[in-house]
Amino acid sequence: MFASFTQIKNSITHLRIGDWLVIAISSVLVVYLFQHLWSHEHAAKVQIRVGDKVHATYDLNLARHVQVTGALGEAVIHIAHGKARFAKSPCHNQYCVHQGWLNHSGQAAICLPNQISLELIGEKKPYDTLNY
Amino acid sequence: MQIQTTSDDHRIAKLAAFAIALHMVEALLPSPLPGVKPGIANIVTLYVLLRYNFATAAWVSILRVFASSLLLGQFLSPTFALSLSGAILSLGVLGLAVHLPKRYFGAVSLSILAAFAHIGGQLLVVRLWLIPHASVAYLIPVFALAALVFGLINGLITAQLINKHQRHDQ
Amino acid sequence: MRKWLTRLLLIALLALGLFTLRSFQQAPLHHSQSYVFGTLVDISIVGETDERAAVLSNHILRDFQQLHQQLHAWKTDKQGKPSELGKLNSAFAQGNAPINLSLQLANMLEDAQALSSQSQGLFNPAIGHLISHWGFHKDEFAAIEIDEAKIASLVKDKPSMADIVIKNHTAYSNNPQVKLDLGGYAKGYALDMAAHYLRQQQVNNALINIGGNIIAIGKNGDKPWRVGIQHPRNPSAIATLDLDDGWAIGTSGDYQRYFMRNSKRYCHIIDPRNGYPVQHTQAVTVLIPPHNKAGVLSDVASKPIFIAAPADKPQAAAKLGITHFMVIDAESNVVITQAMAKKLNWSDANFEKNHHVRVIHTD
Repeated sequence: MFASFTQIKNSITHLRIGDWLVIAISSVLVVYLFQHLWSHEHAAKVQIRVGDKVHATYDLNLARHVQVTGALGEAVIHIAHGKARFAKSPCHNQYCVHQGWLNHSGQAAICLPNQISLELIGEKKPYDTLNY
Repeated sequence: MQIQTTSDDHRIAKLAAFAIALHMVEALLPSPLPGVKPGIANIVTLYVLLRYNFATAAWVSILRVFASSLLLGQFLSPTFALSLSGAILSLGVLGLAVHLPKRYFGAVSLSILAAFAHIGGQLLVVRLWLIPHASVAYLIPVFALAALVFGLINGLITAQLINKHQRHDQ
Repeated sequence: MRKWLTRLLLIALLALGLFTLRSFQQAPLHHSQSYVFGTLVDISIVGETDERAAVLSNHILRDFQQLHQQLHAWKTDKQGKPSELGKLNSAFAQGNAPINLSLQLANMLEDAQALSSQSQGLFNPAIGHLISHWGFHKDEFAAIEIDEAKIASLVKDKPSMADIVIKNHTAYSNNPQVKLDLGGYAKGYALDMAAHYLRQQQVNNALINIGGNIIAIGKNGDKPWRVGIQHPRNPSAIATLDLDDGWAIGTSGDYQRYFMRNSKRYCHIIDPRNGYPVQHTQAVTVLIPPHNKAGVLSDVASKPIFIAAPADKPQAAAKLGITHFMVIDAESNVVITQAMAKKLNWSDANFEKNHHVRVIHTD
């Protein structure tokens, strides 16, 4: 009783104008849903910058300790369970370490003296730049 | 004791039995993603709606949900609730959509609209009852895509069946 | 009829295709980050080739570097020579003999004088000795022993921008205690300089962020540039807002440069009236409408509002013509003008709900 593939093809040619309209509108809806509901997800990756260069980008879900050498010396960055933080830094004031865990897309921790920054990046950035 | 049955009843019973069979086959098939199913039993509902009338389609659909869940031992379980809410919402939409001009809207339109209503009903139950605090938002696009794809395929199959039947009648 | 409908459908599908394409296609954005000015400089340029954007960004960064060296309040260059500002400060300390200065610096000082008098001295770049005394004239500052007598005497010296006399490319000070620190002015000046340069180079869409002070040119694709406002205590944004063409935003916060002493926070923003770091405010954000000095104002205007006592803040803002501002006080209460509140989208539920947002009007 099931229609064969050629028969299905045949029925595609018999689709009516309203059918096409429904298909088109539904497709727009699906695209829209993907764009809007998949954009506010937790951050997926952490981008580490040293000076003006991107040093590396890591998946946030793979736990690891990363050692990065900045202008002053070696900093240690911890990544685990969708979060990232400065764990150790050779800088004097330790503002970067005190920032603690970052877990949302767009969040950043910057170590000015050591010139290392962490930025969490997700599907979509909630903002283009940060005012601080 | 004998219950008087009409030919309508027989028709409903036969078609519902067929829908139940499809439902069971689908229940046995593995699903790539929990909750994402082609819903081939809906082909029967659609076919009945277009060949006969809304009332028959509603009977077939609801009978199918109850009987299948009894047979699978899922009666009054969450799976049953999902199945029923999906069926009721998609019947509601079909009841409205059947009034669309036939010249422009065929089985495919009805099938896609019903499929969206179906996942809409299911997600509603998930959100309100099953896991009220969990975020199901990010699942919506996946379900919507499945509704579009399977709604389209089921609609094409139904259209083919109806065509065949009409040719047969002539 | 049918043909007509088919055509309509084709158009609809075409529109759909374009819509989908457009939503997935990102306008080419060139993004660069650099450490200049003792802070992070972040430049985004849209709609230019990567090569041209890189050339433009590098040009801006070189200008910034030069300005930084010219205005550095405590560092000497590689040959051990002081900056132009350093020389000026030594001359001021030695007496009132006029010293030559560049046209650029003369213009900056005149502008800073005007803003200082407009703010009734709350914006006071002449208190370099006080800032230095609090230990903020070092890359690595630490908690200091508070010397009340010394602070009192530095305040009593009354260093003021009005003490400086600028004439024919020369300057002298009537008060030897004047020591210029343009830390609250230079970043804003650099923003205006960069925005002016990019517009001159026909760049229509860019975003420049110097250590948190931001100016927008055009848009990011089909959307306005979106800016997040930093939470004063957490590494997250409390709100976002769209920065339209020509607008600038700046924040003064007690979290930017500070030290802790006996679990009290001492930040780099010092009240020139008593010589002590301000402790009643966590952050002040100002939003500046398009203006050829929007960058400078975004840097300068937040300071007097930050320093003024809570009750005097609206007045301090009004003196500088600021209509869009937000204050977060020591208890994390938010006071915001209606004009600014209209532009903000809260992203921090605590600030939005649990904190009392008092809307004040400025007319």
